[in-house]
Amino acid sequence: MNILEAVKIHKSYGNKFNKQEVLMGIDLNIRKGEFVSIMGASGSGKTTLLNVLSSIDKVSDGTIYIEGKEMTSMKERQLAEFRKNYLGFIFQDYNLLDTLTVKENILLPLSITKTPKRAAEEKFKTVAIDLGIYELKDKYPNEISGGQKQRTSAARAFIHEPSIIFADEPTGALDSKSASDLLNKLSDLNQKRNATILMVTHDPVAASYCSRVIFIKDGRIYTQLNKGEQSRQGLFQDIMKTQGVLGGVQNEH
Amino acid sequence: MSINQLILRSLKKNLKNYYLYVFALMFTVALYFAFVTLQYDPAMDETKGSIKGAAAIRTASVLLVAIVSIFLLYANNIFIKRRSKEIGLFQLVGMTKGKILQILTIENLILYFSSTLIGIFIGFSVSKLITMILFKLTKVDGIASLHFSSEAFIQTLIVFSVIYLFITLMNWFFIKKQSILSLFRVKSSTEEKVKKVSIFQMLYGIAGILLIILGYYVSSKLFGGDFVTINELFLAMVFILAAVIIGTYLFYKGSVRFIFYLIRKKKDGYLNIHQVLSLSSIMFRMKSNALLLTIITTVSALAVGLLSLSYISYYSAEENAQYTVGGDFAFTNMEDAQTFKLKLTENKIDFTERKFEVIQVEANLENIIVSNLDENLLTNDLTSMPVPVISDQSLDHIDLSKGDILFTGYNDMLNMFFSFKDSGNLELIGKQHTIPLAFQGLQKEQYLSYYFTAGGSPSAIVDDTVFQTLREDKDPSIQGEYSLHIGINLVDESKAEEAAEIFRSTFTDDTYHLSRIERSNEQKHLYGLIMFIVGFLGLTFLITSGCILYFKQMDESEEEKPNYTILRKLGFTEEDLAKGIQAKQIFNFGIPLTIGLLHGYFAVQSGWFLFGTEVWTPMIIVMVLYTALYSIFGILSVFYYKKVIKEAL
Repeated sequence: MNILEAVKIHKSYGNKFNKQEVLMGIDLNIRKGEFVSIMGASGSGKTTLLNVLSSIDKVSDGTIYIEGKEMTSMKERQLAEFRKNYLGFIFQDYNLLDTLTVKENILLPLSITKTPKRAAEEKFKTVAIDLGIYELKDKYPNEISGGQKQRTSAARAFIHEPSIIFADEPTGALDSKSASDLLNKLSDLNQKRNATILMVTHDPVAASYCSRVIFIKDGRIYTQLNKGEQSRQGLFQDIMKTQGVLGGVQNEH
Repeated sequence: MSINQLILRSLKKNLKNYYLYVFALMFTVALYFAFVTLQYDPAMDETKGSIKGAAAIRTASVLLVAIVSIFLLYANNIFIKRRSKEIGLFQLVGMTKGKILQILTIENLILYFSSTLIGIFIGFSVSKLITMILFKLTKVDGIASLHFSSEAFIQTLIVFSVIYLFITLMNWFFIKKQSILSLFRVKSSTEEKVKKVSIFQMLYGIAGILLIILGYYVSSKLFGGDFVTINELFLAMVFILAAVIIGTYLFYKGSVRFIFYLIRKKKDGYLNIHQVLSLSSIMFRMKSNALLLTIITTVSALAVGLLSLSYISYYSAEENAQYTVGGDFAFTNMEDAQTFKLKLTENKIDFTERKFEVIQVEANLENIIVSNLDENLLTNDLTSMPVPVISDQSLDHIDLSKGDILFTGYNDMLNMFFSFKDSGNLELIGKQHTIPLAFQGLQKEQYLSYYFTAGGSPSAIVDDTVFQTLREDKDPSIQGEYSLHIGINLVDESKAEEAAEIFRSTFTDDTYHLSRIERSNEQKHLYGLIMFIVGFLGLTFLITSGCILYFKQMDESEEEKPNYTILRKLGFTEEDLAKGIQAKQIFNFGIPLTIGLLHGYFAVQSGWFLFGTEVWTPMIIVMVLYTALYSIFGILSVFYYKKVIKEAL
């Protein structure tokens, strides 16, 4: 079953005299329970793609369906409604409210959907224990480490069981130990909760935790790799090779 | 791009961002100019009345300058910090500090002096209105004319130029002190780290609330008789001031956070959007603004208190005249009364007349009065109080039996010190005899003037036979200068002014004849001037402090912009956030306002009865006005927040 389906999406900036095309007709399908990463060099349009898919930015052309609902024609108000029910976010710079405690931050999405307090408490406990931050619940964001902040951010994305979670360079600001911790937790949760995750990254190690890796280049899908039966190390090797072919300035003949 | 273009560009940008600053600047200039015009207006001589009045106006204009310059310097401080990044950038591209200062100075010069000139023009156009208000308040029949006072113009220009020099100096120090790096960082360094509430802060918080309550408690006891000597009274006042001001400071420093912390604790992490935006943000920000808020609150309280008190005096002027003058006009000898009556008849003004012989008799009031004062503070012994006594003969509507006595002339101020029982027995003590009488109650109307009633205490009415006995038996040593009271009341109140005019032209000031309307006008004249000055200063303060709170909110909204981005990404709509912001601003502006009003309320409650007879109406009018004007700034800040939220995603 397809959770997300994008058909021929285009995105351009600027006016008609000075047009900068960033996405040039991308088709994408993501099934339930997949852990997909999008890779590409700087300026390849991967963050724009994520913003467009996650309704933060509008497409210039094309359609996006999430759980069969067409999202591209929705009004701002409906989009907000949609985001709070169907989407979860993890950002590179955590995006935690520093005036709220860890627990209050995590519970935010539930307060929008007006979940009863008891159920909210239950959900909080499960997800916080899964991510190993339950003990930190009464601390403020500036009292904890970057890795812990990012796990808090992840907990906030998971708690309301969204259809799909978007992660924008979640390991970008973390040291390698915290990064691998977080990725392990993400892939655990992906397995355990059958959660769908779409992650943008330029870190091959991070991408190797995924079940599928999509490479984009200059606004188009260049190729994709499936993990299949191979080990994480195997996938990592493949990613490196693909990046080698893809990366840098090409020698034109 | 040349320097001139640079200046013009940033001027244009600033005007859009700081419209309120420009507005406040124009407004304060206008107020100041109008005020100084008043000072130089020859038509005002009568209003000022005396040297004291002129001195009051001059002092007020100095205070006005103080408020305005503190405000302008403070506002400039906020703005230069906001522009630190820009200044850093200029330095980075190789501009010298002198050049940057030059840019800022020219920019400020244009902005500042064009607003000053516009302000002067506005001040000029409203000066007539303001003069009319003052005339109306002080009951002076002056003619307000619109005239441009060059002295006022020069004075205003000088004052604001000096303030401008200070601003430039301040900018210079700011630029001089900074390095390129610190300029980029300046904003974040003022932000406070968010931490848990410590035990120490909780103690702070509790201490703050306790101190305020203690201050209020002592203030309610201030004139209750617990403080006997002037020294004690003075110490008590100092204590109240200290307790309340320190309490307010601690309140902002700790109590707000402490209370909000308790609320959050109770929520156990499950906060809705309104609480996220209001509670959690205010909790951490109020502390860093504690000093500013304390000053704003204290001065607000002062303004509200003084304004209320002067309004109470003003408002009570007529009533005060009611119980200090027995009749619309009061005379102490037959001849003058006769002259006046003739003149009234000539002018076809109808009147009624009441003639009393008044004798002072000592009375034992022990059984009918409960004193609210401490024993020590009582100058007179309740068992032998001198009371003016009149006969019921001259009052048609009162007829007492032989054993009865009726008291008249009740007012609120009296009630603060003494309460009369409903009935009881008392004794009138003559030189030889003592007459026991039954107390029949206390009526509001006063028939005698203040020189009979020791300033406004009640007088007694007895049956004529009793009166005759008392007259035979009176003690000459306690009789006053006058023993005759002739009260003349007009039948048609609308002729009061005309009659007062006749009265004025007939009698000189040194006679002991009184006119109610004159007396009320005299008081209105004095308190009208005070009220006008306090109101003027209060308004200036209100606007400047409102602006400062608004600027602070502007900064805060921009600092919190990333939070709004997060929240909107999470799926909160703009309306959700706007509602939360409204809640936040209700706290942000409401807390200082409420505390200020509370302080003012208790200050007024502790001593209003020394100023007048009616407390609620004047106080409520003042407070409602203050709240309404203050709310404007809260509403403006909500609009600004909405703009920021809209741009956040």
